[in-house]
Order: sequence, then C-alpha cells, then structure tokens
Amino acid sequence: MSEDLTRRGFARGTVLAVLAGGAAFLVKKANGQVVWQVNAARCINSRLGEVGVEACNLCTTECVVALSAVRAVNEYAKCGRCNICPAYFNITSAVNELGQPSEKLCPRDAIARKPIGKVDPEDPANNFYEYIIDEEKCDGCGKCVMKCKEPLGLGSITLRIRYDKCVNCNRCSIARACPQNALLQLPVGQAL
Amino acid sequence: MSRVPEALGRACVLLVLLAHSALAQAIPYQRPVDTAPQANSIGGGYKVPPVQKPLPRDYWLQVVDAVALSAAMGVSVWLVLKRRSRKWLTALTIGSLAYFGFYREGCICPIGSLQNVVVALADPKYSIPMLVTATFVLPLVVALYFGRAFCGGVCALGAIQELVVLKPVQVPRRLDRALGLLKYVYLGLAILFAVKPALTRDFLICRFDPFVGFFRRNGAPHMLILGGGFLVLGMFVGRPYCRYLCPYGGLLAWCTRLARRGVTVTPNKELDCGLCAEACPYGAIEKMRAVRRNCLYCARCYASCPCDGELAHAKAGLVDLPGAAS
Amino acid sequence: MMTGARIGSLIAGSLVVLCVAILLVDYAVANRQPFASRPAAEQKRVTAERLARKSRDNAVGWVLIAAAAAFLTFAKGLVQQPKPRPPAARQSGADALGVPSGPMRSPGRAPELDLTFVDQIVLQFGRGKESAIPLLQAIQTHYRYLPDDALRRLCEQTDITPAEIAGTSSFYGQFRRSPVGEHIVRVCHGTACHVSGARQITEELRRFLAIPDGEDTDAARMFTLDEVACLGCCSLAPVLMVDGHTAGKLTPATACNALKVTA
Repeated sequence: MSEDLTRRGFARGTVLAVLAGGAAFLVKKANGQVVWQVNAARCINSRLGEVGVEACNLCTTECVVALSAVRAVNEYAKCGRCNICPAYFNITSAVNELGQPSEKLCPRDAIARKPIGKVDPEDPANNFYEYIIDEEKCDGCGKCVMKCKEPLGLGSITLRIRYDKCVNCNRCSIARACPQNALLQLPVGQAL
Repeated sequence: MSRVPEALGRACVLLVLLAHSALAQAIPYQRPVDTAPQANSIGGGYKVPPVQKPLPRDYWLQVVDAVALSAAMGVSVWLVLKRRSRKWLTALTIGSLAYFGFYREGCICPIGSLQNVVVALADPKYSIPMLVTATFVLPLVVALYFGRAFCGGVCALGAIQELVVLKPVQVPRRLDRALGLLKYVYLGLAILFAVKPALTRDFLICRFDPFVGFFRRNGAPHMLILGGGFLVLGMFVGRPYCRYLCPYGGLLAWCTRLARRGVTVTPNKELDCGLCAEACPYGAIEKMRAVRRNCLYCARCYASCPCDGELAHAKAGLVDLPGAAS
Repeated sequence: MMTGARIGSLIAGSLVVLCVAILLVDYAVANRQPFASRPAAEQKRVTAERLARKSRDNAVGWVLIAAAAAFLTFAKGLVQQPKPRPPAARQSGADALGVPSGPMRSPGRAPELDLTFVDQIVLQFGRGKESAIPLLQAIQTHYRYLPDDALRRLCEQTDITPAEIAGTSSFYGQFRRSPVGEHIVRVCHGTACHVSGARQITEELRRFLAIPDGEDTDAARMFTLDEVACLGCCSLAPVLMVDGHTAGKLTPATACNALKVTA
C-alpha cells in the first residue's frame, strides 16, 4: 500500500503541515533577538531623587550567571572626570594626608583612576582623571551608580547588562526580583 | 610670668586643633563641575574613550547550533537503526552532553523552546529568533519519521541521565503508565503559564529544570540538590525525568505514533528469548514488540539480541537463523 | 574482593562526596555580612577572599564532574556482569585416558584409547552375558562414555555380542555413546519450570554453547546440555543444575552466566 494513502501517512502529513505553517508564521514575525536591559530611569541606583539610601544590589545576587551579567558602565562622554570622584572614593571616610578620602567605595576595587594629561600638584581641582571600570572585577553591586548622580555626580555610571555574559533566560531572575520592574526586554539594536 | 600665657596659648591652640580634627573627619564634598568636560577643554590631544557594547553571540554561531542539532539527530538515527552500535551511541551521548550541555549550558533546549514558541504564537508583541523555532520544530519532524531520535544521544538532559544508568529496575506496567501521564500534566501547565500576559508570565520549565545547575556549574542549592537527587534516582530507575516529566517528550511521543520507521524488535524469525525486553531499561518492549513512543533510542535491545547484536555468540557467527534480516 | 573496578569506584565515589562536602561548606560559611561600614582594607580582604572562593568552587566543580564520570565508569564495570563468552576448544588433543577433547573431526583419527582397563574389568566381572550391565557401567564411569573401541574390545574379550551391547546401551539413558562434556548442565523441564520459560533457556543455552542440532554437547566438550524432569525446587523456577550446583530464577540472559560458576 502506498505510504501516502494510509491513515498514518495522512496524519503525519497534517502534522507536518501544521508545524511548517507555525514555523513560517514565527519566522516571518522574527525580528532578531530580544534581550534584557536595565531601564536606568527606573533603577533605584541611577534614578534621580534616591539619595542617601543603601545601593540595591539585586542585580548581583539574583543573576544566575556566576559573577552576574550586570556591570556598572561609565559613559565617558558624560563623566566629570573629577579629582575627588564620589563613586571612586568613599567621601564619608576620613581624609588622608593627600587631602583625599582614605577609602575607596568599590568593594571589589574595580574602578581604576588614571590621570589625564599632566598632574598639577598645586591645583588639584583642575586635574582630570579617567575612571575606568574593570569588567572582570565589577559585579554590578550598584554602589558607584548610587553615588554618581545629582547632587554629587553627573550620573554617568549606570548598570547595564553585558550580552557576552548574559544567558538571556526566559525567566530573568533579576527581572523577577527587581522591586522597580526596571528590567525589560528590547530588540538587540535598541538595547545596546 | 610670661611663661604662663605662653603655655596657656599653646594649650588653647592644641585644643582648637584637636577640636578641628575631631570634627573635620570627612570632606564636605561639593561637585566641582556641572557639566562633563569635553575633549577640547581637557586638551593635550585627549580623546573620549568609547564605551564597550558587547554583542550577544554571533548569528552564524546560532546557525551552527541548529546545524549541530540536526546533524546529531541524523547520526543518532543512523547509529541506532542502521549500525545498532551502543559503543558509538555512547560516544555521541557524551559529545552531546559536552556541547549542548556543558558548553552551551543547556540553553536553548527544545524543552524550554516550546514555551517560547507558545508565547510567540499567543502574544503579538513577542517574537523569537529563528534558531528557537528551529530548535523546537526539528526534533518533532524527526520524530514524525523516525521516533524519539532526539531523546537518544542528543538531548543534554537525557544524555546526563543516560550516562548514570547503572542497574535499572523494570517499573511495573501500570505504574509506568500512570506516571507517564504526569508529563502531559506538566505540558499543560507549562503552556498555561506561558500564555499569561507579560507581567504574570512564568516559564515553568526553565524554573524547574533540574539539570541546568550542573551545566552552569552554578545555581540555587535546592535546585542543585534536586538535580543530584534525580541523577541518583536515575542510577536505579532509567531516565525518570525523560519518561515521566518531560513535557517535550510528551509531544515527541505523540509524533512518534505516526512514525513509519523506528526501533523494531524481531528478525524474521521470533526467538522469544526475551533478552531485549530484559535489557530495555525504559519499558519500551512489551510482548516482544517495541513500543515506539516509549523508546528512547538507546539501542540496548539490539546490543543484547543474540541474533543481531554485540553478544559474543552473534559476533562469532555461531547463530544463524534462516532469513534473519537486518 | 578488591578488584580494580571496586577500588576505582570507591576512590572516585569518595572524591565525589568530598567535592560535594567542600562546596556545601563553602556555601555555608560564605561571608554574607553587609559591606558598607567596613574599612577599606578589610573590604579588600573580603573581596579577595570571595574571588578566591569563586575560583576554588569552580575548580572543585570540574573535579566533581570528572570524579563522577570516573565513578560511573568503574561502577558500570562492577554492575554489569561481563558478557559470557562461549567456551573455547582446549589445547591438548586428548586427556590422560585418551578420551578426545576438542571437536571430533573424524573418528578414525582419534588418539588411541587406553584399553587395558577393559581387560581388567573383564577379569573382575567375568565374561558372561549377565555381566553386560556392570561392565558397561564400569566403562562409562571410567571413560565417561562408551567408546566404540572399548566396546569392540569388550566383544572380543567376552561372550557379549555387539547387538546385545547396542540394545543395552541404547535402552538405558545413563549410557552415552558420545563423549560427555566436562560439566553436565541439567535444565529442569518440570511443570513449574516449563511454564516459567524453560524452553527459552534451553534454546538460549544451545545458541550460546553452539551445540549443533541433534547433539547435546558443545564442540569444545566443556558442557553437555540435558533436559531433565523436575529438580524439586519449583519455587525457584526456572532452574538448572551445573555439576551439582543449582541456579534458580533464571532468565535467558542470566542462564549463560550460571555456567561461569564452574568454568
């Protein structure tokens, strides 16, 4: 008996057609990958108005990736490059003999402070420093983000998800835990 | 006489200095600039460094994944139905575990992709990449023709369970049937929770995946312990997750009912020795016939058949039945 | 019995348990105290400690995976009985009595039997026809079967005719005309064993030993297969006996392994 005349063959053909139809529909709709991103306008750490509160580190603790996929990222174009950076130094700590706070803010020592150009010891306020965040050490705890915004900073540091580390889970655990619903899914082009 | 005021003066200065230092522990910080200095105001040939924006995995790597999935299934079909070799199938299983399991960390898996496909069909605003659609559809298409070739040697979750099977017991038929219904319940629940609106949507399969913690080498302790429990159980009951809980396995079982080819038991002459039924750890041989929808493509039946398999007397050509076909 | 597989699986198993214990301990004592109010030096120390713990856990995780793989390999070797191999032909052509072991290619080329024994028993039992059965029993006990040459010698030495010998030896099941194997396998075909699949066991044993149709001994003359009536242990059906050792609750798969007890 020819295969396509049997009931089984007919059923198989039907299922194949359904699968093909569904696949075609989904492929037509596909517009590339959708990834998770942190909305800086909602995140407690970077949102204006939240000052003097403990930085929220749910991005670090909730992510399933071993050392979180979230990093603090410094937008160099917006950075003040100040001598005493409130995100680099812990400005509530005692002042040392150089006139700088003695303690650094980052618990993992992930921010590097590099002078730009020549350093003038007589005029410290007019020296510029580049603050570079080492993404191998940063775990997205958000302390620097919390400090670098009005009134202390210019808000150049935000928390961002790094896509070479993010697994792009369906159930992003950070998204589920975030009290401000600050994580959203965007197409890759918009999210970067 | 002039010493006393001097000493007093010194003491006063000391006191004032001490008080000053006690109070002025931290600097009263004020932001020195109101706007970010631009390159020209910094001068000296300074250029603003670019902010790194790491991209997700390249598109061609996604294609590689889809091709690897198809190739692995093709190899699985050939190894089980044509070569009937357990040795090579085990090699394929280990390879799949290494690539789809530990390297790709078990994500995207076809089991989870069924949720994404369901959401994409239900929610007009949600779309999935082509790789996810392919990952969902390809094993089903193979199942329509050849049976659960995906389960045998390709699925990473199945592979890790397959490798821990040590001394499997035969689960009584009624219990096997009853437990097998659980996977359809799970399938229904997974679909139900996936089609909810975006804020209440829950991906159950991702949440309750017992083995992803091993693949990521990281995870909540209770999930790792649950996964470990499944593996220890799997040493004595063959592939419990695959047979009783896997929702995608439920879909594959439905498709396998329509398959034309698949694992068959018997050469032309039925020997009736029952060695294959004893060797099958997944209860897929009943009354000397293969139950294809339960068959997980492990080829143990072929390996134990005296006419056909790797048993010594078959290899030595000592058994020769008239008309014993391949 | 500490075979290599057992030692290996013990070592690998303990390594797995050790790695799991290390990971659990690391998780339990992990420093979760809030960071905020500590001096910078201690913050650095705790950070370094956390980084060290992360890399240590990563390494232990890989060791755990490797140890688990090793454990499974050894345990599989332990659990799976090695597939039985059919007995191979022996090296020597004949044993001390001249009874040939190995395939009887052509009877004419069989090595010489030691026939002095026949002369001895004829002297012992007498030459008359009434001694036929004791003589045959003695020959069977000595050579383990009734060789043609010995029977011919018997006819020469006594008054028993070849026809009488043929009749007597074929009447009683105890007498064998072809060499028996070293071990006699008796498969019970009593009622309980019959319904429990004694036929399949016998067929599988015949296949395994490559016993040609019509014969009951394998080519290497190691095992002779015999279907017997009830052995009297019906609750263990199906049953076989190998040289006095009984094996019960068999299946075609395990029956072949029961032969290994003696081989």
